[in-house]
Amino acid sequence: MALVEFRKVVKSYGRKAALRALDADVRAGTFTVLCGPPQCGKSVLLRMLIGLEQPDSGRIYVDGTDITDVPPARRTFGYVPQSFALFPHMTVRSNISYPLRLQGATRQQIAEKLDWAASMLGIAPLLDKTPDQLSGGEKQRTAVARGLMKNAELFILDDPLVGLDFKLRERLMEDLREMQATLGATFLYATSDSLEALAMADEIVVMDDGVVIEAAGVDPIYREPQRLRSIELIGFPRANTVAGSLANGRVTTALFDFTIAAETQDLSDPGDVLVAVRPEDIVHDGAGQGIGNGRLGGTATVRLVEDLGGEYVVYMDVEDVTLCTAFPVAVLGRQPAYGDTFSFTVAPDALIVFDRATGERVGRGRGRDHA
Amino acid sequence: MPDIHLERITKKFGDFTAVNEVSITFPDSSVTCLLGPSGCGKTTLMRMIAGLETPTSGRVRLGNRDVTRLAPSRRNVGMVFQYPVMYPTLSVAQNIELPLLRDRSVSGAERRRRLEQVLDILSMRDLADAFIEDLDAGGRQKVAVGRSVARQTEIILFDEPTTNVEVNAKLELVRAFKEVTRQLKQSIVYVTHDQTEAMTLADQIALMKDGDITQCDSPRELYNNPQTEFGGWFLGNPGMNFVSHTIGEGERWVVLPLFDKPIDAPDGARGAITLGIRPEHIATHAEPVDGSVEALVLSRAVTIGGQQLIKVRVGDIDLKIKANRDVGRQLAKNDTVHIIVPPGRIAFFVDGRRLHADPADALPAPAEPPSEMSIRLAASGATAGSMP
Repeated sequence: MALVEFRKVVKSYGRKAALRALDADVRAGTFTVLCGPPQCGKSVLLRMLIGLEQPDSGRIYVDGTDITDVPPARRTFGYVPQSFALFPHMTVRSNISYPLRLQGATRQQIAEKLDWAASMLGIAPLLDKTPDQLSGGEKQRTAVARGLMKNAELFILDDPLVGLDFKLRERLMEDLREMQATLGATFLYATSDSLEALAMADEIVVMDDGVVIEAAGVDPIYREPQRLRSIELIGFPRANTVAGSLANGRVTTALFDFTIAAETQDLSDPGDVLVAVRPEDIVHDGAGQGIGNGRLGGTATVRLVEDLGGEYVVYMDVEDVTLCTAFPVAVLGRQPAYGDTFSFTVAPDALIVFDRATGERVGRGRGRDHA
Repeated sequence: MPDIHLERITKKFGDFTAVNEVSITFPDSSVTCLLGPSGCGKTTLMRMIAGLETPTSGRVRLGNRDVTRLAPSRRNVGMVFQYPVMYPTLSVAQNIELPLLRDRSVSGAERRRRLEQVLDILSMRDLADAFIEDLDAGGRQKVAVGRSVARQTEIILFDEPTTNVEVNAKLELVRAFKEVTRQLKQSIVYVTHDQTEAMTLADQIALMKDGDITQCDSPRELYNNPQTEFGGWFLGNPGMNFVSHTIGEGERWVVLPLFDKPIDAPDGARGAITLGIRPEHIATHAEPVDGSVEALVLSRAVTIGGQQLIKVRVGDIDLKIKANRDVGRQLAKNDTVHIIVPPGRIAFFVDGRRLHADPADALPAPAEPPSEMSIRLAASGATAGSMP
């Protein structure tokens, strides 16, 4: 059973709708990540669960109990807010143990938990400092530790790593994942960074514009996205989309034409479609022989190469389309240069077709293309 | 365009040393990125080049000019900040032109020529008459870049210009920036904590830590041959795996559960060493192959470009591996995977610094491996087939 259930949750601020009859479930014991662009409503949703916001309508259940009208003080969840507010006059130690003291924990219990959190997050040397003596990253870790100190089954983390140094984020992601596993608790975590979501999540809830687009495990979301916004929002670098039209089971785009293996029962073609392809599914065709052999492809001109160290992300133009591709450095060998001609191929079944009007998935390209 | 010479530059704030005796030359007409975590001293170093901070000791020279005590306005240096300062009621073109209007040495024709050139490079011709307030943060920052570039100062300094720009706009900005550096050969110093930005834009990266430059090299050289453990960790997503090991007196081999047989210890290695291994250099196989060892899968996640980031345990060593997605996808927690750590790709460190295969450092090698070695090998189950 789901630990948290959001049912038809509506929230507006003046005329602006923040949540539009949102339904979502969070399974017990999972690390669930709410992932969506800034302002999509994820933070509002988390604040409702904490009790800092009240829905206009709809209900929220935790463990089967309706908590919609339960005052925040009686909700016993751990919470790491986006903008961390530490008590400036207290030491790190007092800041961190504050929630447990409120819960009436014994000195012994607090000390044990404090040791655990401090060593996990590497802040043991900071315990006697005050917040004004800490760097941004140290403050953040202190806030995370405080949020995780409570004895709770459910921890709510609202984009706690935003704005931190890249390497610090990398480390904290690992720490958080490990803490969740150690505690065996449920983590509900919001971020707009899909790499963060992919690195930590058991389950991803894709949100956009106040509704849930799709919710599933990491592998199904990544490999078989059911909605256009899912493939656009989950994955780094971002998936490419190419406009096309579908008629009689055949998709035509500026880059390539292919036959579709339709998946929907409704066999009427939607007409206007968007074809999505992940960067890694665009393969470098060094010898220039791949096209035709059941594969699609073309020739592009390199515009920008981002060097990630282990990977090159190559942006290249074909016709009027800019394609983003990603290659492990060892695969390409040489770093492509601006203006290089670049031949590529794509397997038709790496192309996922979505209805342009509804964003619903229509199907994939057929594995072997006989056209 | 002049070189930038920093000579034993130190900057202290009270008893905190932000920059510690840095001596380095950034060559002219090239892009140097100052890269490092927050608090490493990169922004302070840049501000001393600009003249916004005065060094506690040491000298700043631009070409032959000693500018250490010179006011910022007299250094012929342009700057682009995290938060660009713009005139919201002026158009894009007017904002770019403004500094040139104040400069009497620039004729009207020259001013228009530079404006056109900058608008072209930034692909902003269509936006020339748009007002600043109608642009997003990325667009504004592009205008800020254009304005600095059009001034044609000898040196342009950028202070984390993409920090407040949303991801997609950021890419557009990086692309515009790359275009600027490709077409106009100005001397540029660019401060960032974003390794990808540095690797993408720089001709050379000065990697900073605790007020020091730990290494200054081309991006690929820095990535492929980090001279410090810090460099191996900082560059890469994720950075290197580090494995601690102790080499006994006279031993010439490294025996670890990572390898199916002992590998040669680097010359000069003795006592505590650290092996640095990049996650993408470890090969993974579903079935045992020649040279592979067994590893236990601890976790798996999707990462950049659909690669699979797996964590494995071999003996008591945990490693992160970027696996090819076809092998990686099949793996689940507690599965066994067969890995090969190629010895040729390992970086050896002593006290955090790279150990060089420099013959001058080499110890005289014993003629025979000590017998305790063979005993230990037998005990750990490793094959000693390649031992002399």
